[in-house]
Amino acid sequence: MSKVRALFEKYQALFYVLILAVLCAVPFLLPKALYVRYACNILMYATLAGSLNIINGYSGQTCLGQAGFFAIGAYTMAALSTNFGVSFWLLLPLSGLLAALVGLLVSLPTLKLKGIYLSIVTLGASEIIRIIAQTWTPVTGGAMGIKQIPYPQLFGLDTFRPKYYYFIFLFIGVVFLFVTKRVLASRVGRSWIAIREDEIAAKSLGVQTSFYKSLNFMYGAFWAGVVGCAYAPFVNYIEASQFTTDTGFNVLAMIVIGGQGTLIGPIVGSTIVTLLTESLRFLESWRYVIYAVLIIAMMWLRPQGIAGASNSILAGGKIKRKPAAAGGKGGASHG
Amino acid sequence: MAERKTTLLEAKGVCMYFGGLKAVEEVDMQIKQGDIFGIIGPNGAGKTTFFNVCTGIYPPTKGKIFFEGQDITGVSPEKAAQLRIARTFQNLQLFKFMTVLDNVKIGCHIKTKSNLLDAIVHTKQYKQDEEYTTEKSLDILRSIGLHEYRDAKAGNLSYGMQRKVEIARALALDPKILLLDEPAAGMNPQETKSLMEFIKMLNQDGYTIAVIEHDMKFVMNSCNHILVLNFGKKIFEGSPDQVKVNQEVQSAYFGRGLVAGEALK
Amino acid sequence: MEYFLNQLVNGLSQGAIYALMAIGYSVIVGVVGMVTFTYGEIMMIGAFGAYYVFQFVGVNLPLALLAAFASSFVLGIIVYKLCYERFFNAPRHISLLCTIGFSMLIKNLVQIVFGPEAKPVLNIIDNRTFSIPLGGAVSIDLKLLQIVIMALVVVLAVTLTLFFNRTKSGVALRAVSQNKEAAYLMGINVKRTAMLGNCIGCGFGGIAGILLAIYYYTISTTTWGGFSMKAFSASVLGGLVDLRMSALGGLFIGIIENLGITISSATFRDMFAFGFLILMLVIRPQGFASKKGSRV
Repeated sequence: MSKVRALFEKYQALFYVLILAVLCAVPFLLPKALYVRYACNILMYATLAGSLNIINGYSGQTCLGQAGFFAIGAYTMAALSTNFGVSFWLLLPLSGLLAALVGLLVSLPTLKLKGIYLSIVTLGASEIIRIIAQTWTPVTGGAMGIKQIPYPQLFGLDTFRPKYYYFIFLFIGVVFLFVTKRVLASRVGRSWIAIREDEIAAKSLGVQTSFYKSLNFMYGAFWAGVVGCAYAPFVNYIEASQFTTDTGFNVLAMIVIGGQGTLIGPIVGSTIVTLLTESLRFLESWRYVIYAVLIIAMMWLRPQGIAGASNSILAGGKIKRKPAAAGGKGGASHG
Repeated sequence: MAERKTTLLEAKGVCMYFGGLKAVEEVDMQIKQGDIFGIIGPNGAGKTTFFNVCTGIYPPTKGKIFFEGQDITGVSPEKAAQLRIARTFQNLQLFKFMTVLDNVKIGCHIKTKSNLLDAIVHTKQYKQDEEYTTEKSLDILRSIGLHEYRDAKAGNLSYGMQRKVEIARALALDPKILLLDEPAAGMNPQETKSLMEFIKMLNQDGYTIAVIEHDMKFVMNSCNHILVLNFGKKIFEGSPDQVKVNQEVQSAYFGRGLVAGEALK
Repeated sequence: MEYFLNQLVNGLSQGAIYALMAIGYSVIVGVVGMVTFTYGEIMMIGAFGAYYVFQFVGVNLPLALLAAFASSFVLGIIVYKLCYERFFNAPRHISLLCTIGFSMLIKNLVQIVFGPEAKPVLNIIDNRTFSIPLGGAVSIDLKLLQIVIMALVVVLAVTLTLFFNRTKSGVALRAVSQNKEAAYLMGINVKRTAMLGNCIGCGFGGIAGILLAIYYYTISTTTWGGFSMKAFSASVLGGLVDLRMSALGGLFIGIIENLGITISSATFRDMFAFGFLILMLVIRPQGFASKKGSRV
């Protein structure tokens, strides 16, 4: 095993280029346009799940409202491009930044809150965003949604064909992975992980936990916004019902199944969930039952997910030598 | 007794109440530059609470804390760490699932300052920081004798070693003062002895150290000044020799009527 | 003015149902010590239990309520075994995600078994309205349905309080909710007691479920997530484990919602509830309760 790893590390760059080449060939190898569409979905959800994984998997804050950030990105793109004809490539970072701003707003009240309270605020915020989208007709089209969102320019290719749109998702996904990998290997990423593992200890080492938690939220929201921006023209039509809490739970399920706290986890999750729900279409509602059972089974057998970080508190905290004392992580007891 | 130098950490009339419980009451303390300052007292005497107040985990109900003459009463733990007050925890708050090296690396947080953008574009700042962090962490691990365990998961080490990792992590802050909360708890006599030597060595390197400890031998042999707490109140302060013969300390520890000299040997 | 007063009455009666939901929720959170995202589906199952009583036995309200309680109670056992029992010492998010999974499971199973379309629940309580004059031209309308609901909620709340204070299991439940370890040392079977508490909480959710169905004349298979959120909100307002305060929180949310839509449109209904919750969490995380800090 260590030999394989050594080999991998030696030819790391080559390895990545190889994977990228294969990924680039995918849309031309798949026999049907429908399959290419699935591939697009996998890439898109992989990045979206990745953005949620930044929050849930790396800083340990259980965010349930990723659909909200996603919606912000999608609506920013749709509204600005249909009304003002702003270029997609300009909107891509803009949507991200706007989502990050909302992420900051959501994170501020959550800083003092723990666990479930935080989750609920994110869920509530996501619902509020959806309700606004549903009612703010002049901007979001209200219940009618926004139709005929212009396709992005890409070297003169017909991006309305999934075959070419695929490359936009691929581009976003690769940039996301590249940038995130760097962030995680830095002081910022270490601080996030430290907060996830033990917030009090992180504080006592001088990590400004509030700042880093907010930053973490903004970073996760940013990428959700970017993916939202790419999603809008892909489906060509958006409305509020595409951004319900169930959408958020769906993304959550991907990281739960695929794995939290690793970069590969969300990709695995997105692939499994997309293939499962698409290939089991004939089962109709039963596929969601299977899906739900999978989530519960995962929590029982491997809480960190298939490719999740086993070396983390996400794995259920089983490393403990001492039996869980009363108060658990409460820390600072007065002696 | 050697001449006592400038005051580093000072507590003035510090009180900490939890509802009706007076965990710490009117405690004064002066830790001088270069001290190994011991805080002892029976269980529940308020030692850890006092530490927590000093490092900003609780704001005191009353009283003031000064660090290098600057009022730091009620600052956040982060701020205290940035002032280079480092601490360890009684009940071990290691990042259990992270490697020993990563644990120490997080300790280097305040000594570095690269941000998100630095990390993304790998600026000079980032490279400097990473180099500093890695070098520094490895140096500390080497000096504390954990170098060969750098890639082990912290939670998998023995109890004594975990305590050492915590100290290593605190050292990464380049602390002006190091507060150790029962560093020898759970260690065997061998480990305790080597820890004691290590602490003395750190002291010789110029670190000021405050230590809460139950192990009397440890305290008497390493500390040059001792504060005794009981039921949240300071009952005595002085050199180890003075503490040994003090009546009140003895009665607090052993009840009245016991010959303390024997027990304290 | 009249519209405003009528909305207040609507708010009170809807708030009464929310109060019942919140009581159930708080019992669960208090005794088990973990939050649930399955509560909406638990209420739905209770509503369905009662619905089939109406279908096969006829309009028999007491029996229907019993059926609602029983079906949610039984579901509570499954939830407990699947989502809580194993995870007492694990990080919180694990059981949380488990309940989300279970909620998806039940939602979809129900759509498969009972069909996705909403079921009508009509004429359970006489559609009679009392008009109470308040002097001048102002009067408020009070529906019989609303009176019955409010009375029922009060009776149930009192029953639960008596149960908690006067019976041995009730006292055990309170002990477990305050301190599991101490309760264990006192010889209480913590796991079984926690399960009982969870099931009782679920049972109350079930009754709230059928009351909601009667109130809206329909049982949908999709809208329960929102109610679950409201139960949670109400219970947060009450400090999450304090039953009386949670009930107050429920009433409050009912009133806020119904008064809120007098100044805007009905589509904003949920926004008022969530907005208020977030505001409350920011300003006063412990809710109405005076004690600071909470177990979750």
